[in-house]
Amino acid sequence: MTMNDIFDCKLLIVDDEPELIRMLDGILRREGYRRVLSAVDCQSARRTFAAEKPDGMILDVTLPDGDGFSLMREFREKSSVPILFLSARDEDENRLLGLGLGADDYITKPFLPRELTLRLKAVLSRAYFPVVRRREEKPAFCLGETEVDLNSGTVTAKAGRLTLTAKEYALLTKLYENRENIVTGDSLCRAAWGDDLYSYENTLMVHIRRLREKIEPEPSAPRYLLTVRGLGYKLTGVRGK
Amino acid sequence: MKSMMKILSRYVLSAAGVALTLLIINFALLATWTAQSGKTVQRNNNIAQIADSLVRAEDGSYLLSKDAGTSIEKNCQWAMLIDDGSGRVLWSLNLPSDVPESYTVSEVAGFTRWYLNGYPVTVWKHADGLFVLGGEKDSIWKYNITEPKAVMDNAGVWITVMLILNGLAAILLALLFGLRLFRSLRPLAKGIEGMAENEPVEFSTHGLLGELAAGINKTSEQLKRQGLALKKRDDARTTWIAGVSHDIRTPLSLVMGYASQLEDDPGLSQDKREQAGIIRRQSERIKTLVSDLNLASKLEYDMQPLRKTDVLPAALLRSIAADFYNGGLDERYSIDVTICGDAQNVAITGDEELLRRAVSNLITNSIRHNPNGCAIKITLEKRSGSCIVSVSDNGTGFPQNVLESLKSEADTAELQSHGLGLTIVRQIVKAHGGTTEFRNLPEGGCAALLCLPAVTADDN
Repeated sequence: MTMNDIFDCKLLIVDDEPELIRMLDGILRREGYRRVLSAVDCQSARRTFAAEKPDGMILDVTLPDGDGFSLMREFREKSSVPILFLSARDEDENRLLGLGLGADDYITKPFLPRELTLRLKAVLSRAYFPVVRRREEKPAFCLGETEVDLNSGTVTAKAGRLTLTAKEYALLTKLYENRENIVTGDSLCRAAWGDDLYSYENTLMVHIRRLREKIEPEPSAPRYLLTVRGLGYKLTGVRGK
Repeated sequence: MKSMMKILSRYVLSAAGVALTLLIINFALLATWTAQSGKTVQRNNNIAQIADSLVRAEDGSYLLSKDAGTSIEKNCQWAMLIDDGSGRVLWSLNLPSDVPESYTVSEVAGFTRWYLNGYPVTVWKHADGLFVLGGEKDSIWKYNITEPKAVMDNAGVWITVMLILNGLAAILLALLFGLRLFRSLRPLAKGIEGMAENEPVEFSTHGLLGELAAGINKTSEQLKRQGLALKKRDDARTTWIAGVSHDIRTPLSLVMGYASQLEDDPGLSQDKREQAGIIRRQSERIKTLVSDLNLASKLEYDMQPLRKTDVLPAALLRSIAADFYNGGLDERYSIDVTICGDAQNVAITGDEELLRRAVSNLITNSIRHNPNGCAIKITLEKRSGSCIVSVSDNGTGFPQNVLESLKSEADTAELQSHGLGLTIVRQIVKAHGGTTEFRNLPEGGCAALLCLPAVTADDN
């Protein structure tokens, strides 16, 4: 398989509603996917699957001649093609069943086109470009004049290079992943200690203070790692390197 | 079972009462009857008068007064006078032929006590001898009572003792039979109690209470059928709502999808793009409404499975507030989370997603009804055995009619569209075994209190 980017992926949409297929086709092509196929029932889906060997599938749960879950089971016996479910049922059992069978993601109708394309992209990248993603996982970024490299776990400021401790690294990674968003103290504790009991609150404060001493130019008046009273913390002003 | 004991004691007491009353009535009747019949015998044979009316004439013959004569004739009696010395009959009237004319002392002793040749007789002392008044054969039954004097003197005591013994015996017997009845009634009573708890019952229809048991069986069967019919109807309704919500999703996907594309289309004018945005937002609202309706109907008919885990409300509330902020909360709104000291680590058992939904609904409600902004306050408090989540704002408060419909614990099946979000809050809390309270604050704004049973988390 020669694939330069995810837009080379051959996609198969299975849904019993032709109008919806048309819309999805439009959305996906506009997004940049060049090869989009479709089927309206299990039978034609099987045929297309056998003939075209798609690289990714968007599968409806309710189909006129069967259900998406058993269709996925069938396909999964032959290949590990990434599958994203699209369903009109929001019951959680169905969701769990779908993921339990090995579905890669699940979207309930109605959905926003952006949500679909983002999730599809994530699913496909995970399946076909894992290396790229792993490199992205440990990014380097700037907070004002300070440079943070999560690959080496170091902070470079005017004063020199400092190394982050394991806890500081975990906290900063979590905050960076949710930059510009509030991260509750509980999820920070879970990230650093694997426990969300708030009894770590004081410990958390100590680590945040040390982290500020490393990344903030003026730790007593933080500009990048802000406290959100009663809720948690927020990393803001992140710039790319 | 308490009522059964009451029935039993009532039964025993009344049975004993009946027995005792019967005894006393019988006693009284016997006494009256004896006295009455004795009187009859006496009236017919007023022997003293008759004997006195027999006088000896100058010539040695005897004359009986006319009245006495008639009295004897009328009662088919006969009479004679026996000489004290010789034992011969001096005078007689209507003397039957089989009655001898002279008597020895032992013969006299015999008939005074028993019968004279089968004739009942009574005797009276006469100036010349023994006056004997006889009746017809088999007309009188004679019985002599001989009792030790002590017995007769203590008769009062004896009768009392006997009555008491009788009463005791009556109570004992009633108790015995009552217990038997109680034993056979007990399973029925238990069954009826069970039926009240919706447990089906099936009794053996043999024995004393067979018909009653059959009736109860039938009632239970009927209840079961009714329950099934109700459940079927509820299921049908929930399935129907689920079906409608399912069917509406695909067309809504198209509306939302295209509206969203138009909204992002740089080729359109700002106006048109804003209009597309309105369509997109309203579609999202329909989506929420549909899933709310679906969830509400499932919660109402207990068809929503709860995935219970240990939930820390403090962490959950912080995360909800953070989500609202991170989702782009307008600056006119603020969400303030206050966790009261000891509530920090309190845990509850519940479905985290549903609880999140409940609190989010309250916040969304405050935001939607206060378009000019408001300050939302969330507090968590720990009280004995429960934790209380309060969501309040300083906005316009609940409209009176909404507040009233929320206050009445009436059937939530009558879902009101504008109150659906709050109805779901109430249903979710109810499914967790808690209670909700909605009220308007005197200083303006409204408050919702969710009281959830807590797990004691002291072991942490």
